[in-house]
Amino acid sequence: MGYTHEVPLGESEHVPSVVQCDSLSKRYGDVLAVDDLSFAIEAGTITGFLGPNGAGKSTTLRMLLGLAEPTSGHATVFGSPYDELATPALRIGAVLEATDFHPGRSGRDHLRMLSRAVGLPDARVDDVLALVELQGASRRRVKGYSLGMRQRLGLAAALLGNPDLLVLDEPANGLDPEGVRWLRDFLRDFASGGRTVLISSHVLAEIAQTVDQVLIINHGRLVTESTLDDLTARVGGVVRVQSPQLDQLAAVLAREGIVTTRNNDHALLAQGTTRERVGDLALAGGIALYELVTEGSSLEEVFLDLTSGEAPQ
Amino acid sequence: MNQLRAELLKIRSTRTTIGLLVGLIALALLFTILTCTLSPMSQLLTEQDQISLLSFGSIAGVFAALAGVMLFTSEYRFGTIRPTSLFNPSRGRLFVTKITAGVLSGFVFGVIGEGLVFSIGMMILKIRGVSVVMSGANMTELLVGAIVGTALWGAIGVAVGAVVPNQVGAVITLLAWGFVVENLVFGFLPKIGRFLPVHASDAMMGPLENKLLPGNVGLVVVVGWSLVLALIGVTQLRRRDVN
Repeated sequence: MGYTHEVPLGESEHVPSVVQCDSLSKRYGDVLAVDDLSFAIEAGTITGFLGPNGAGKSTTLRMLLGLAEPTSGHATVFGSPYDELATPALRIGAVLEATDFHPGRSGRDHLRMLSRAVGLPDARVDDVLALVELQGASRRRVKGYSLGMRQRLGLAAALLGNPDLLVLDEPANGLDPEGVRWLRDFLRDFASGGRTVLISSHVLAEIAQTVDQVLIINHGRLVTESTLDDLTARVGGVVRVQSPQLDQLAAVLAREGIVTTRNNDHALLAQGTTRERVGDLALAGGIALYELVTEGSSLEEVFLDLTSGEAPQ
Repeated sequence: MNQLRAELLKIRSTRTTIGLLVGLIALALLFTILTCTLSPMSQLLTEQDQISLLSFGSIAGVFAALAGVMLFTSEYRFGTIRPTSLFNPSRGRLFVTKITAGVLSGFVFGVIGEGLVFSIGMMILKIRGVSVVMSGANMTELLVGAIVGTALWGAIGVAVGAVVPNQVGAVITLLAWGFVVENLVFGFLPKIGRFLPVHASDAMMGPLENKLLPGNVGLVVVVGWSLVLALIGVTQLRRRDVN
């Protein structure tokens, strides 16, 4: 993409985290929507921000993006509060709702008005429309767009400034499987160049194949922060492995205290461990592997286990 | 400047503003043609008659105020306040940009509204053989007063929209104030009513009514109302989270 912005040399060395929240809280009357939330996100990662509906995800993102004032604590992006960055839309792209458009305005005009606000040329609008594959519909009014098209238009708006950080609030909501796949591929491609993505969802399965790590919140508080594999292992995850030397593999894993069971399709299910651990042990034992995968269903169970607690009184 | 260009594109890129302009043109034409054609000659002869007739273009202030209200309330109604705030995170700068856009669009409404009423009204009066007795100074005061007043109503509309982000609520507030509350106050208490914004902006167009303020005082009062409402609007905007 042709429109880059310069970050002063050395700035990144002083700003270890792209996103940082410290003791962030937000109270609406009697409701504590976000409660003393602290986390940091490093550059080049795709982080899933997970929690059930009403957990405080959207409120946290709004505070991060300067739309809502924290009751206490603070949130920074690239080392500064969002509204203190010079032209933040050139460093951070965000989509908070799939419906944030005037229905009577064309998709192209929606992008043109945003690009003008930060001094980008109309050519940039055409670039991002091509990127999200919306050129054909860009001159139609948004009220004729499907939900998937609106999601992509929102993404196009977020990409206008060629950002280093993308913040997406429930972007897969209402998307069909093809749309979810398109989004997943797009985000993988976006992050492959060392850029950072923070993506919220209330359904782990929706983003499990996209993210590197997860932040899980419930009742406004951080429940866990880890990689997907660590999460699975910590709460009793299952790794399915296929090998022509299953007995040998089971013995190697047993020596390390990993409990295994045989599956009826000639696979082994390793309990409470990670793909990396099983792979390393197999390699050390000279055992060939045909398949090594974390069972998806267990992830969902982990997520549900972590977020099923009652609200603190 | 970039943000102002963005706001002006917002105004141009939906049919709302065009609809308001079409409404203004239709109303101005209808009123001017009917009154100038059908009024008895005896009601068109004095300077005050003629000023009163040709000042109808100030109705553009209602349309400018509605267009101004839409600048904020549409953003809240359709959720575009979120991307707008992300691209322009300074609420103060956003407010100033919108106020400026409101004044500019109000100016255009004023030129079109008063321009139409004045030019067509004068033409019909000439066709009917009415001698135009308005002085050049009065004509200038009428035109400038109507256009500047309409531009200020654009700003007032923006401020009202910032205070009352609910679109229906803001429109009702504005219309109820302009058409009901002010007329009641002016009717019963003219010494107070003439300091209210609609009557103060009427005063800017010349000697329409004896109880109104002098034109220059009217201008100061309308500017004062615009500033006070703008101050309340920007304070509200800064306090309010964008949800």
